[in-house]
Amino acid sequence: MANIFPRWSNQLPLKVLVCVAVLGAAITCGVAYYFTPKYTRVGYQPIQPVPFQHDIHVNQLGMDCRYCHSNVEVSAHSNIPTAQTCMNCHSQIQKNNPKLAALKTAWETGLPLPWVRIHYAPDYAYFNHSVHVNRGVSCVSCHGNINRMEVVWHDQPQSMSWCLDCHRNPEKHVRPMEQVFNLDWKPEGKDPQKAQNEIGTQLVKEWAIRPPQNCGGCHR
Amino acid sequence: MKRILQHPTEVATGKKYWRNVEELADTPSFRGWLAREFPQGAAEMELDGPDGLSRRSFVQIMGASLALAGFGFSGCRRPEIQFAALSKSVEWSIPGKALYYASAMPRRGGAMPLMVTTNDGRPTKIEGNLLHPSSGGSTDLQAQATILDLYNPDRSRTFVGHGQKSERSEFERYLKDLLGKVGTGAGMAFLSDVSNSPTRARLQKEVLAKYPGAKFHVYDPTGSLQHEAVASAFGDGVALKYNLEKANVILAVDSDFLGIDAIGTEVTRQFSRRRNPSGKMNRLYAVENRYTITGGMADHRLRLKASLVPAFLVALAKELGVAATATGTADLGASAEWIKECATDLLSAKGTSLVFVGPHQPVEVQALGFAINQALGNIGSTILGVAVPPAAAGTLADLVASIKAKAISTLFILESNPVYTAPADFQFAELLKSVADVIHVGLRTDATAQAAKWHVPGTHFLESWDDAFTPDGTYVPVQPMILPLFGGLSINDVLSLVAGLPVPTGAELVKATFDTLAAGTDWPKFLQNGYLDIPAAVAPLAFRGSAPMITIPSDKGIEIVFPPDYKISDGHSIDNGWLHELPDPITKLTWDNAALISRKTATSLDLARASDPLVRSDEAHLDSDVVKITVNGRSLEVPVLVTPGHADDSITLPRGYGHAPGTTGKIGTGVGFNAFQLISSTTPYVAVATVERTGKQYKLALTQEHNQMEGRALVREATAEKFAKEPEFAKTMHIDGHIPPNISLYKSPPLTMPEQWGMMIDLNTCTGCSTCTIACQAENNIPIVGKQQVINNREMHWLRIDRYFATAGDEHNETEPEMVMQPMGCQQCENAPCETVCPVNATVHSPDGLNVMAYNRCIGTRYCANNCPFKVRRFNFFNYNERPIEKIKVGILPEASGLYYGPLAPKGTEELTKMQKNPNVTVRIRGVMEKCTYCIQRIEEGRISSRIKAGASDKLRIPTDSIQSACMQACPTEAITFGDLRDPDSAVAKLLDNPRRYRLLEYLDVRTRTSYLARIRNPNPKMPGAEKIADIYPDEYESLHGEGAPGGHGPAKNPDELHSNPEPAGAHH
Repeated sequence: MANIFPRWSNQLPLKVLVCVAVLGAAITCGVAYYFTPKYTRVGYQPIQPVPFQHDIHVNQLGMDCRYCHSNVEVSAHSNIPTAQTCMNCHSQIQKNNPKLAALKTAWETGLPLPWVRIHYAPDYAYFNHSVHVNRGVSCVSCHGNINRMEVVWHDQPQSMSWCLDCHRNPEKHVRPMEQVFNLDWKPEGKDPQKAQNEIGTQLVKEWAIRPPQNCGGCHR
Repeated sequence: MKRILQHPTEVATGKKYWRNVEELADTPSFRGWLAREFPQGAAEMELDGPDGLSRRSFVQIMGASLALAGFGFSGCRRPEIQFAALSKSVEWSIPGKALYYASAMPRRGGAMPLMVTTNDGRPTKIEGNLLHPSSGGSTDLQAQATILDLYNPDRSRTFVGHGQKSERSEFERYLKDLLGKVGTGAGMAFLSDVSNSPTRARLQKEVLAKYPGAKFHVYDPTGSLQHEAVASAFGDGVALKYNLEKANVILAVDSDFLGIDAIGTEVTRQFSRRRNPSGKMNRLYAVENRYTITGGMADHRLRLKASLVPAFLVALAKELGVAATATGTADLGASAEWIKECATDLLSAKGTSLVFVGPHQPVEVQALGFAINQALGNIGSTILGVAVPPAAAGTLADLVASIKAKAISTLFILESNPVYTAPADFQFAELLKSVADVIHVGLRTDATAQAAKWHVPGTHFLESWDDAFTPDGTYVPVQPMILPLFGGLSINDVLSLVAGLPVPTGAELVKATFDTLAAGTDWPKFLQNGYLDIPAAVAPLAFRGSAPMITIPSDKGIEIVFPPDYKISDGHSIDNGWLHELPDPITKLTWDNAALISRKTATSLDLARASDPLVRSDEAHLDSDVVKITVNGRSLEVPVLVTPGHADDSITLPRGYGHAPGTTGKIGTGVGFNAFQLISSTTPYVAVATVERTGKQYKLALTQEHNQMEGRALVREATAEKFAKEPEFAKTMHIDGHIPPNISLYKSPPLTMPEQWGMMIDLNTCTGCSTCTIACQAENNIPIVGKQQVINNREMHWLRIDRYFATAGDEHNETEPEMVMQPMGCQQCENAPCETVCPVNATVHSPDGLNVMAYNRCIGTRYCANNCPFKVRRFNFFNYNERPIEKIKVGILPEASGLYYGPLAPKGTEELTKMQKNPNVTVRIRGVMEKCTYCIQRIEEGRISSRIKAGASDKLRIPTDSIQSACMQACPTEAITFGDLRDPDSAVAKLLDNPRRYRLLEYLDVRTRTSYLARIRNPNPKMPGAEKIADIYPDEYESLHGEGAPGGHGPAKNPDELHSNPEPAGAHH
């Protein structure tokens, strides 16, 4: 009796298996990378038109966040400063520094500086800066230690589940109002995490903090 | 336990509510239509329809675009996004925060005071100026929609000289040359629309000082003769102001004083404040040829041909003992008794009554109206005078005579479109050819712009300086929020150019007027408040002369009436898609006008649709017969629409539609039929017409059949008498008195927030004006979908107005129905049927009682819309915001709507249209369900403000009534109240105990958050037919189902306000 299957079919199961394995691996890797909150460009650090250093301005010179991001306490947006704000000082200081050439051009022509956006909430999510900083959430909770960054990078995932982590457990981040713009502040105590939980729980209770967890809180 | 919930059957006796003739007749085709959620084919792509894209070519296109999409993997990289922070800081501007400016919208009868919201320098929303004494913070339809005129992508963008694109400098050079030639100005004329701007009047004087021979003319294309009538009765320099809060008996004769003839919102508000049945209600009589908003609010309505109005007034004057002389007679038929009882009622309210006569009626007829008011003692009581600058301009007829006499060589046409709007017998387009230099200033390149030698792009009132008087005589500024988008010139700019004055970019022109009118007052405060805080000059009204001679026209034959259109008025808003898509309040017609007639007249003309609607098929559902109407030898072919409550032998054809091809933008192309072609200067409002069938058919996009709700007591009403006897009648109507204790299979949502939002809509004051619908559209970025998609039931309005006709008993009689309006948006059910069927939890309940929609989660199964008992959910069948809705041509493929071309159509919103969008509301894409959210963006803004204010404290209370939904804010009759149901001080909570309050479909236990207050009518018991009005409880019905009868209504009970227990213990199954 002749063979029903030709000779080449002996290797077919192996080939199929290899193909399935490769495909499976690709899908797994793809999903693991793209479908999780990790794929939110944490670490994204684009080159900016002016090599502005938060480290110099905040950490070394001691400027307050709100000198430049002046509307953060009143508006949903934390504004990027106008060229005019920069020129308040730089019309006197370092005025011939070639690094500030783009700024000077913007100031003279009136055209905006093309700052590259790093943190970006989608159009259907309505984040409001003012309500966070006025209720004891510090810049550092979402932006990391931006005061020590030479070039700003994307520090936290800022995905929806990441938002909800805090909205469900606000005590992990709420701090006394006078420390909101002090990015280096740590609660006193041996175990900072424990100390934060203690002070956070107390503040959440005192201020009746109940962050929205329903869709309508952020999506309209 | 299995329970099958049977909807209660319709009550066989008593009042019957219906929305169209087919429903009243209950035809098989109508029942079939009703049973489907969407009409046949609406849920599918219409491939073989008029758009002609076949299924095969569609698949080809899709395949090709899919394959092409793979190239470049462009979708795998995130684009680099840039901030464009301003270079120089702008005073007051905070990115992300709205700025509010007080301004006013110039109107013919007086400006409407406004507060305009701007976002990042873009005006995005218009509200009434709450500070202004007569505004009340409300607006009307045109004020809400005008923001779209500012951002009309087809508005005029360049100067045009001799048919060529040109520039401002060229125009100024031309103007200089021209003015050098005119000498003293003899032969120079100006034509504009009615205006009461003191700055314009001042500039007019400046022009006349320089060119004493120049002539100014004014033309009102709506055909209103009110100004002339008031001038003839009370002298020039006076305008009328009404005090309806004092009026107990009101008679409106061919006057839609709550609708198109309304001047400002004050009259409407005063009227509705007197409709509260717990106080002394006013009584409204209406006499009209077609159903209007005013007729719908009337307690008694008399159908009467518009040509019989003079005869009616003469007969009324006779009953009232007012001297009236008339030539000719007319047969008023059976209305004699009506007139008698109406007169008796008016006489019983001497000094507290009011007779409105339509502004389109001849001057002497209106004068007779004033004589009647004088005899009733109303002048000085309910009718007051306001001093206005006297008119200093000629009429259009004067201008036409001068042009014919070759006396005009230079004509400035300022924001007027006489080539389209002038009476046909003037043949204005021909006349213009004999004028050497015609300069047109306007927002659109309309017919007149194209006939002119020079066209100057005009400015919208939101981008130019002006001033005005409101109807109550207060002085208001018109201040811009944005520079002219296309560098246009306002009328004031052009007049100052002509007068040789400088053209400032700022407020100098208005400031100069302000300094003369209001010397010594604070200019910044004037701009900030939006009005001059000095009481208006009250002019004592002295009625002069006896009643004039009335000519009663013959009432033989068929008359045709030309009122301004309710939506687009005289046609200047022809490019406004919001207004086109808004269903007319009465006919529910969109994207067209039509000749409105009664069924009897239609039958006598042997029109197929009208005479036999009961057997026609679904496909022919929207087909209307086209008739040829001939007036004075000029004829027009126009579709017929049978309208219940229309007078027999009368046709109503609204003005403003049917602009010639090429004289409108994309939106206005091919919309409607031009009534001006039939209007002549001798018969500007009513004419005798001959009508013949053409045998042609035309599709009208009506929304009245959409979203039907079968025979349930959705609107509830009674008479004032009945209400006094049984105040809680609305709570036990229909099945509501029989509801057994209900159980729910589902867990009720936890309502844990301190605020619980709710809404009350008072059917007693809702006129159906539809301002709320447009306010909602502007606030919530709701797209328009175009005529074909409306025909397919795909309109997107979150808030619709259901218009019900009502007839007594089982008479199938649609000639004299009553009318009830019911605004219908999402009811925000606590036990929402939509939430339980969503497979992806895209619609869920928030702890403050809102039924929220997460658009980015929605996958578009439309289960929720299927399960919604109110049919208030809207689905984006296409990417309305990104693709053109008008017909386009792609390559060799046939011409079709851009929607059907999907990815092949040009993508992206027009930059101008984008500027209107509210940045606080998501712009939805295709495949997403959407619906009313109670303006959640405003709620969140209010909540966030309260949190910011609280800071380091727990004082989180949102101030009482600090949040208004867009519909509530816009409503001119204060019919909508929104607020926190749990706050005992809030306006909405105070209405919870109102005896008239009821909720829709109570027996379904959906627990709606929107409740309605039943309508109360106040009929005159002596009037013929009064016993049938709002008679929902005939004795027979009462004995069968009333209290005490077996199985009858239980005692009235108050529906549970909110779930008392936030987390019901698992007993719910």
